[in-house]
Amino acid sequence: MSRKFLLGAAAAAAFVATGGVAMAAPPILIGVQAPITGTYADEGQGIQKAVQLLADEQNAKGGLLGRKIEVKACDDEGTASQAAICARQLVDAHVVAVIGSYTSGAALAAEPIYARANVLQSSDGTSNQLLERGYQTWFGNAPPNSAEAVFTANYLVNVRHFKRIAVLTDHSSFATGLADEVEKDVKAVHGNVVDKAFINAGSQNFTPVLTQIKSLNPDVLYFSGYYSDGGLIRAQMQQLGMKAVFVGGDANQNVSFGKIAGSAAAGSVILNVPAPQDLPYPAAKQFVAAYKAKYGALPPSVYTLTNADGMRAIMQAIAETKSTDPKKLEGYLHHLKSFQGLTGTFAWNARGERTGSPFVAFEVDAQGNYSILYPKPAH
Amino acid sequence: MTVPPARGILAYRNEAIGALLWALGLALPAVLDSSWVAVAAIFAIYAITALSEDVILGRGGMFDMGHAVYFGIGAYVTAILNTEFGWPIFATLPFAILAAAAVGALLAAPLIRLRGDYLLVATIGFNAIFVLAMQNNLAGITGGSDGLTGLDVPVLFGLPLESQSAMFWLDWVALGIVMVLMRNLDRCEFGRTLRYLKQDELAATTLGVDARAAKTLAFAVGAGLAGLAGTLFAVQLSTVSPTSFVFTESVTLFAIVIVGGKGSVPGVLLGTALMFVVPQFFRQFATYRYFAFGFAMIAVMVLRPQGLWPRRIQNE
Amino acid sequence: MGTFVQQVFNGLTVGGIYALIALGYTMVYGVMRLINFAHGDLCILGAFIGLTLLSGAAGSGHPGVALLLLAFVLAIAVVAAAGVLLEFVAYRPLRRADRLAAVVSALGASVLIENGIMIVWGPNVHVFPSGLLPETVWHVAGAAITFVQVLIILASVVLMAALYVFVHHTKFGTAIRAAAIDQDTARLMGINVNRVIVTVFVVGPALGAIGGLFVGVYYREAYFTMGWVYGLYAFIAAILGGIGNIPGAMLGGVLLGLFNAFAAGYISSSWQDAITFALLIGILLVRPTGLLGERVAEKV
Repeated sequence: MSRKFLLGAAAAAAFVATGGVAMAAPPILIGVQAPITGTYADEGQGIQKAVQLLADEQNAKGGLLGRKIEVKACDDEGTASQAAICARQLVDAHVVAVIGSYTSGAALAAEPIYARANVLQSSDGTSNQLLERGYQTWFGNAPPNSAEAVFTANYLVNVRHFKRIAVLTDHSSFATGLADEVEKDVKAVHGNVVDKAFINAGSQNFTPVLTQIKSLNPDVLYFSGYYSDGGLIRAQMQQLGMKAVFVGGDANQNVSFGKIAGSAAAGSVILNVPAPQDLPYPAAKQFVAAYKAKYGALPPSVYTLTNADGMRAIMQAIAETKSTDPKKLEGYLHHLKSFQGLTGTFAWNARGERTGSPFVAFEVDAQGNYSILYPKPAH
Repeated sequence: MTVPPARGILAYRNEAIGALLWALGLALPAVLDSSWVAVAAIFAIYAITALSEDVILGRGGMFDMGHAVYFGIGAYVTAILNTEFGWPIFATLPFAILAAAAVGALLAAPLIRLRGDYLLVATIGFNAIFVLAMQNNLAGITGGSDGLTGLDVPVLFGLPLESQSAMFWLDWVALGIVMVLMRNLDRCEFGRTLRYLKQDELAATTLGVDARAAKTLAFAVGAGLAGLAGTLFAVQLSTVSPTSFVFTESVTLFAIVIVGGKGSVPGVLLGTALMFVVPQFFRQFATYRYFAFGFAMIAVMVLRPQGLWPRRIQNE
Repeated sequence: MGTFVQQVFNGLTVGGIYALIALGYTMVYGVMRLINFAHGDLCILGAFIGLTLLSGAAGSGHPGVALLLLAFVLAIAVVAAAGVLLEFVAYRPLRRADRLAAVVSALGASVLIENGIMIVWGPNVHVFPSGLLPETVWHVAGAAITFVQVLIILASVVLMAALYVFVHHTKFGTAIRAAAIDQDTARLMGINVNRVIVTVFVVGPALGAIGGLFVGVYYREAYFTMGWVYGLYAFIAAILGGIGNIPGAMLGGVLLGLFNAFAAGYISSSWQDAITFALLIGILLVRPTGLLGERVAEKV
């Protein structure tokens, strides 16, 4: 046998080995579990689109580990029973990780199924119950209520020196959780909560409860629910001649808030992690621009971006560990010191809780633009 | 009316087919992957709930559009007794059934004199009140909007029913028992009383039928069976939260009975399959799925106003 | 005092909206004995039609009032057409069937319209352009009331009165009432029952479109799932007043609005809906066919 032939055979074998494997390499499957229909369809479709966009961008750069990324979406309709079915479907499809769901309830119903199957789950759910079981597969991508509440209490009581604080929430798991923590933390820093009241999300008619709050003469109204209601609450406060300052939780941050509130928007304050356009690096702006270019609209809310961060972190983990082994990915993410997210620099603690997110207070102006009010940006 | 002998044979033939299909269903976990076993398990749970709705709506002729309340009570009783008081799951089952039945009877008793659509609105009202009570963390034990999580795995004769297949068999056996109960309901005196009342309440009462008692009992039986399904639901999801029992769930149960065929066991099962299982096949068309679903509901009603598998006329 | 008067204004405004939507509900029910669960979604379809015209023309320099009137006309036309189509496709074949078959067909239509709106307009919250109507605020007895609120209350009263006159004091109205009592007999008396029903499905959804567009103009937002909530409240209002009864729908809507306002304002905002529903159930127990009694013949 000649050397030439051997070399040729070796080259051919090497070609088959590399090229052949690359050709046959199955795609890396990433699941999306989100409410694509129903009440939260807007948010659910946003999550699906964001994950698809990131996968497409990565595939255009050659994918990950020489493999393409394929996104499998499952509509959980925001309900627990459909979420449990989705979780099993995605597990059966052998996804490496799942982004979503949007609501804590749907994330909660799916969580044990992913944990048992060792599938990573990154959701914006912030219910404390998501952390209680200590699942290693859980990676919350939205800042936890507890951190936001501490910042909120400090801002209301020590920074703005409000003397009469009214807390308003809807009945959702997220908003009541946040409102409870804010109330507790405000009391902890000796703030004065004059009322804690509820709205029915989506009922649009908030004047009765606002009239009642007005009679208690608060100097600030803190609302922990969502922007579509928050914008209306701000507008109806003006209609009723309420002088209290409107301070909204993170779910109020949306371009529609200012539009719905109209002329009343000016002077409203929203507490959240910094918005993409206020972040010092270009990735966030670039993502929002790419999203707008592809889908013709801005992302529906900040949670589209936090879920995109979940996807980005998992892609980074796969690239860095050169593996799709869930144990390695979990280890990598749990030990990541600082992740450069679209929604700020953060990390995960042992419980899978997002840590180290700096909160800021934005002021909304009459045109619906945001400027950072606190902490004062360093120039 | 004299009963032709052929009818008995026909009836038994259908029952034999039903029993055979049920027995074949036990093999589902062998041929389906776990997500479809989960679909089958939840199908069994919703089928029980729909059959229990049928006792009130189809057989009792009372417009109950708040049936998710009783389903929810069963689920919450199991979840509360298990997570807060550490009871084993199966020990909570009788209490779930009894609590749901008691609430059904208590709510129904004063409302039964409301006719048709007024009863419908009152039951919608109860549904709204129930969900709000759970969200407001009634008595500090319902877990508020988050609900209750971390239910134990049910243990039967020392055997933990942990896998999805085991849970499916549990649900499937329960469905089998409820189907037999429904068959017996058709033939017992109470079943006949309900049919009589539905056909001609005035005539029935003049003949000494206590309409109020019979209707209250129908509510209690229907609610109790829904309570059973609620326990199974809590076990399947190992979490219970208010959003699973909202008014739209009641509407779906109501529609299942009408789409399937009032008073007809195979009809209600078929209705459950159409309203719950069929949409599962179309997940990839997520945004268009419910558009087509609405269209299908209209088409089914227009083409088969009596439901997909109406109750046999001879039975009436 | 100011707080109390304010709560009355709050209740009257939202009650006026419920009443507008309930009028269409009760009209259809009176003749067809059909709970038209798609009615709320038809109303919101009206809001979206109006929204498309208004935001398309925003900044085009057209005078606001003329544009708004055009939006109302267009919304009424489209929604009335949708109502007639719905009657023809989903309800007419079921006229002789079990009533509940038509109810489920209506539920299907509700799902269809809601998801149709989502597909056409998208799932996001849509915002109406501002400044369509004067933002005047009046202060009465320490309470504030805006121009739009007054307009909604006036519109609901005027439309209720017009509908009442139409049904009770015109020849065609007599035909409607005859068909509502007994369609077969009405037919024997030479009344074109099909024409009556088509008219009902023009007038009912048209009123709904007005209600839906008022919702949009007042709250300035619209999204696809909104119809279900408004439809439900309007249905409850119609039942509360006595279904099939035109002044009853008005009374029911206003009372529902006031209940809601007083429950949130004086008892507990966290139990607001529960209190409202408990009151509703209580009223039904005392008056099993609504406050003013129903105006439909019992079908035996």
